[in-house]
Amino acid sequence: MKAILTDITKCIGCFKCVKACKETYDLPGDYPRRWTQNDGLSALNWTSIVIKPDDHFIRKQCRHCIEPACVSVCPVGALKKTKEGPVIYDNDKCMGCRYCMMACPYGIPRYDWDQRIPYIRKCIMCYDRIKNGQQPACTAACPEEATIFGERDELIAIARQRILDNPGKYYQDKIWGEHEVGGTCVLYLSDIDLSFLSYDRKLDNEPLPHTTEAAMKAVPPVFAGMGAAMIGLHWVIGRRMKREQENKPKGGSE
Amino acid sequence: MDRVKIFKLILWIVTGLGLSAAIARFAFGLGVTTNLSDTTPWGFWIGFDVVSGVALAAGGFVITATVYIMRKEEFHPIVKPAVLTAFLGYIAVIVGLLFDLGLPWNIWHPVVQWQHHSALFEVAWCVMLYTTVLALEFSPVPLEETSRYAKIRSFLMRYRLVFVILGIMLSTLHQSSLGSLFLIMPFKLHPLWYTPILPIMFFISAIALGLMMVTFESLFTSWLYRRKAETPLLAKLGKAAVWVIAIYALVRFIDLGARGALGYIFAGSFESIMFIVEASMVIIIPLILLSIPRTRHSLKGLWAASLLVVLGIVFNRINVAGLMMTSATGSHYVPSLSEILISASVVSAAVLAFLFAVEHFKVWERKPIDPEAKVEKLPEFDRASNTWLGRPEVAARIKYSLAFVLAVAVGLMFWPFDRLESRGIQDTPVVKARGGEKLIINGNRNFDLVLFKHKMHEDTLGGKESCVKCHHMNIPGDKESGCWQCHADMNKYTDAFRHDWHASPSGGNLGCVKCHEPDQPKMALTASECNECHKDLIPPGAAIKVEDYTAPGYVDAMHGSCVECHKEKAAALDKPKLPQCTTCHDQEVSDSINQAIAAKHEGRKSPWVTMPEIEEN
Ligand code: SF4
Ligand code: SF4
Repeated sequence: MKAILTDITKCIGCFKCVKACKETYDLPGDYPRRWTQNDGLSALNWTSIVIKPDDHFIRKQCRHCIEPACVSVCPVGALKKTKEGPVIYDNDKCMGCRYCMMACPYGIPRYDWDQRIPYIRKCIMCYDRIKNGQQPACTAACPEEATIFGERDELIAIARQRILDNPGKYYQDKIWGEHEVGGTCVLYLSDIDLSFLSYDRKLDNEPLPHTTEAAMKAVPPVFAGMGAAMIGLHWVIGRRMKREQENKPKGGSE
Repeated sequence: MDRVKIFKLILWIVTGLGLSAAIARFAFGLGVTTNLSDTTPWGFWIGFDVVSGVALAAGGFVITATVYIMRKEEFHPIVKPAVLTAFLGYIAVIVGLLFDLGLPWNIWHPVVQWQHHSALFEVAWCVMLYTTVLALEFSPVPLEETSRYAKIRSFLMRYRLVFVILGIMLSTLHQSSLGSLFLIMPFKLHPLWYTPILPIMFFISAIALGLMMVTFESLFTSWLYRRKAETPLLAKLGKAAVWVIAIYALVRFIDLGARGALGYIFAGSFESIMFIVEASMVIIIPLILLSIPRTRHSLKGLWAASLLVVLGIVFNRINVAGLMMTSATGSHYVPSLSEILISASVVSAAVLAFLFAVEHFKVWERKPIDPEAKVEKLPEFDRASNTWLGRPEVAARIKYSLAFVLAVAVGLMFWPFDRLESRGIQDTPVVKARGGEKLIINGNRNFDLVLFKHKMHEDTLGGKESCVKCHHMNIPGDKESGCWQCHADMNKYTDAFRHDWHASPSGGNLGCVKCHEPDQPKMALTASECNECHKDLIPPGAAIKVEDYTAPGYVDAMHGSCVECHKEKAAALDKPKLPQCTTCHDQEVSDSINQAIAAKHEGRKSPWVTMPEIEEN
């Protein structure tokens, strides 16, 4: 599975990845609106640089989770996890319920709020380019190789190596995205705490779709069980009532 | 006027106002008409119209189960109104959803694009099927009016039990699945509400709500039509509700305890207050009211209990569907007027449909005396005087339609359509030309008013013909040009030199003539050099030698003062490419900058700057 590794300690905040993304997808300029969040992402910015104190530039983008919450909740299959890794979106299938926006633990999918015909917008890891054997526009544009593209396993190996080579440099010696919510295809190495990227400060390693799975699995048995119970109850109560009628003394009802 | 008429009139007006909001919603999109945002993608429409709406319609399956499965025949009189409410409730849910969906014309997509792992997919299917089942359950009532459809009716009646059981099965599923919708958001929903057994919680509370909604509706319509309330029957429902609410409370608190979340109740936070409010509305007060036989059998007690439970569970649904996520997401969402109006109008339209049905079909044992039909006995045409009297019943309808149309019109009138354009264009009222010698204007759009020599500008720019230079008046929504549009070098925010800071009282607090020659055009060229004041502006050993300097632009300042620093940082942070031009500039850009600088040097006697030597690798 393809993945992206972003090393915060290498990023110099030149915004070239952001620019490359905008050029690749022909996204017009954007300015803060009432409905945008202050992390720089919007329907017109699929990746952004979040600036934190002391020269820390954190590139935010869709994490392309291995078991994505957004894909599991979409009632019409407009979002899809491809075997190459990217989580992609299909305009024609979407019905605009915005459940994906609610479900994403990183708050990634954004909406075309000002359009009369609005769509979900988020990073798609340049799926077309990947299919053609190229790397995404953003990683290609990075002058510092702060954000690199490759096979997920290889990138994790690289990250491990960097952590080994630089003891004490990285925050908690952690590869962000290796395990959270079942693992993501966008990994981070950082010297600061990156938990602000998700809504929950302590994301579980359990993939989020599993939370609903039990309930969804219970659907057919509950459906059938309820039907059987109702028919049974109807019959039992009916018989009891009939018996009561019969048991009544003959003269009682006259 | 009669109670019913006033009530209907109000409903028509609300529906009309909502329709105008609906027009705006579809004409301008969601962003500008609602307060939804990337932080709050689901708002009042999902919380109230959909999640609460479905729960409010739970009376249908609860009462049919009681009558046809438990065979409690005594409740038969309230079956039809309960089924009708459920049917209209589901229609309202679907209509409400149409406003919320971004692409409502794709609402049928779940029918063909199956996604069995999505809770919303399951809800969509169940709502669809159950609405159909409800239509089949209710249709014998209107069909009763004519004998023409007797066959269909008897067919429907024969299979009623099948529909009832199907309805219960479907309701069980989606009432609970509405809770499953939020299972995937453990990171957002507050622990007082988030629990893995949310579906079970939703199902139990839906039963309680169903019972109390039927009670409320029965009480309300009896009040409206001045009928005798079915108090003994409702008291029995109340007694059943006590059990259901008690079970709900038990499960709720055991769950809280098991998850160790009880402590949050006393945390004193926004959430804990909301939890206490909710719990008293749904559990504590109704339980007290309904378990005392005397209040249970009194009209007032029933009113209070049913209202509390209905509002409380709606509150619970709204909490789960978004309100209790706000501390995680940091959203400040408050529904916009159009969101509230549209929701209110969907409800009003459903209530109007309900009233129409009870007045025209045998939903109750006896149709209410139609207040509008009272005078129907009068002839439509008075032969004696040769005048058309009109059908009196029509008269009321004319009033309603008038109110409705007026409401739509008034609603549309008050929509600030011009301000709704999402590009944020403001209206520019045409004002009488002031002209004159001097004006005080907000020329820099920062509300620091400046004294503007209007006459002087007019003269230097070429007399009356030159008005258009500032007042072009041809771009919609444009204002007169700001100062900086001509005095371009004074207010560029990208400049290292912040002119407005230097000029503002809270900043440098310098008068114009401090830097600019008096009686000279105010521009960069006439300004004194920076290092006249800032003796130490250019650090010793800077890469750029600045001679003959005016205010430095960003590029100059960058290269003068920043490149050194970039080099230092690059070494310190181990980011080797930080000080290279092409790291930030594309090769062409770097080239063009070099050319521009070279060109600038040409025209000058002494070279402006000398480019830094930076080695590329
Ligand atoms: S980060 Fe969010 S949008 Fe991206 S794949 Fe994961 S759940 Fe989906
Ligand atoms: S908004 Fe579109 S993509 Fe997102 S869950 Fe709904 S249908 Fe799927």
